[in-house]
Amino acid sequence: MSGTRRLALPRAARVRAAPGGQPLEVDGQTVAHVRESWLIEDRWWTEQPLRRRYWEIVSEQGRDLVVFHDLADGHWFRQR
Amino acid sequence: MRTYVRMMVACALIPRFELVVAAGGLEALAGRAVAIAPEGGRGSGALGEVSGAAQAFGVRSGMALGEALARCPQLELLAADPIAVAAAWEATLRTLEGIGAGVEPQRPGLVCFTLDGLRRLHGGSDELVLAAARRALDRPARLAAAPTRFCALAAALATRPRRTLIVRESARAHLMGLPVALLRSRERTAPLVATLERLGIATLGELAALGRSSLADRFGAAGVEAHRLACGEDDPPRSRRVEVALSESLELPEATGGEALERALAVLIDRLLARPERRGRTLRAATLAARLTDGGSWSREVTFREALAQRERMHLVLAARLGALPAPASVLTLTAERFGAPAGQQEALLEQADRHRRARLREAVAQMRSAAGPDAALRVHCLQLDSRVPERRVMLTPFES
Repeated sequence: MSGTRRLALPRAARVRAAPGGQPLEVDGQTVAHVRESWLIEDRWWTEQPLRRRYWEIVSEQGRDLVVFHDLADGHWFRQR
Repeated sequence: MRTYVRMMVACALIPRFELVVAAGGLEALAGRAVAIAPEGGRGSGALGEVSGAAQAFGVRSGMALGEALARCPQLELLAADPIAVAAAWEATLRTLEGIGAGVEPQRPGLVCFTLDGLRRLHGGSDELVLAAARRALDRPARLAAAPTRFCALAAALATRPRRTLIVRESARAHLMGLPVALLRSRERTAPLVATLERLGIATLGELAALGRSSLADRFGAAGVEAHRLACGEDDPPRSRRVEVALSESLELPEATGGEALERALAVLIDRLLARPERRGRTLRAATLAARLTDGGSWSREVTFREALAQRERMHLVLAARLGALPAPASVLTLTAERFGAPAGQQEALLEQADRHRRARLREAVAQMRSAAGPDAALRVHCLQLDSRVPERRVMLTPFES
């Protein structure tokens, strides 16, 4: 059956960020407030290490979004 | 003016019943030091019943074989024959039922029944009822009557064979001077005897003088039961339910074991379940018996966890017992002992509701999938809920009800 899949997979996002890495705009939505930021470093003992800087932000429309910056390849993703 | 007759319980004790049957008659035991061999081999275990001649050498039932042979080197061992014992005991019970007694068999050779209701049938007195029972038994038996089952057994043990004892006084008064070892006759109170004797409580009268609550503190429910018995309190006999015996046998042409024996068992189960006398009832207990090629027999009663009539489940339970066969079998017998309700399977009310709900859910999922495709019903499966990486926490899997 084809229904087996993971939930909350990252989706590519268009993010404009400040020089310090703080997101200013996510998929055309202006960031009104940064609620929290955290760093995840995992699987560093493998050939595919995982290094992400997460940002939980509130857009001007009032939406709560979680995005992360992949520190390995430089791309941005949305995860909620 | 009304006359109230106190309940009287009769006890018939046929000494060495199993040994007499295994030996082929009372005459075969005369002057011989004989005992039932330990089950499962000749080299270990405890002896069964022993003859009077063997007792004279100090051999006792339950004694280790090595010790018994040291005391009595000429001791002869007989193979246990539970099939023949069961048949002979059933015949004995039916003769007692033939005089109108509602019997409560305790073990082969020991049976109780109330005298109430039998007096008018047999002349109006307890003595005449017991005389009728003795004629029916037609073998040396110790017969006694007393107000309770326990007291009747104590009286039967005290009386001589072919004699009858009727306890007219109260049960408590009769039991007062008797040893606490009598409590060994009940499975529940038997473990207390050694401790009571160590504590210096030798008689049932001394036991009755103790407080029931003190005994409950020290021994729990067994202590309360022992005190009740010592005080002359006991439950009345419960007559057995007479049912048509349902039995199937299969002769095994050669010494068979392993898979062949299991196949024979499967045939017996099929035959037993196909018997019209079963009338759709489930089986609650069955006896698996075998006649052994080297003499004697073997039997095991199996009580199923729930009453059932399913071939596979019965086979699963009974086949495990075949491993305990002490020798190759020449005849295998399966007997239905007790029946359950005439239904395919017994289920609890709540489980039924749960099963019903699951069936409805399964049907609903099937309808959804036929209408919206195979992904219409999925289940969220937790992988690592505490993972810091969100996509590793949960996943969707097909819903299987």
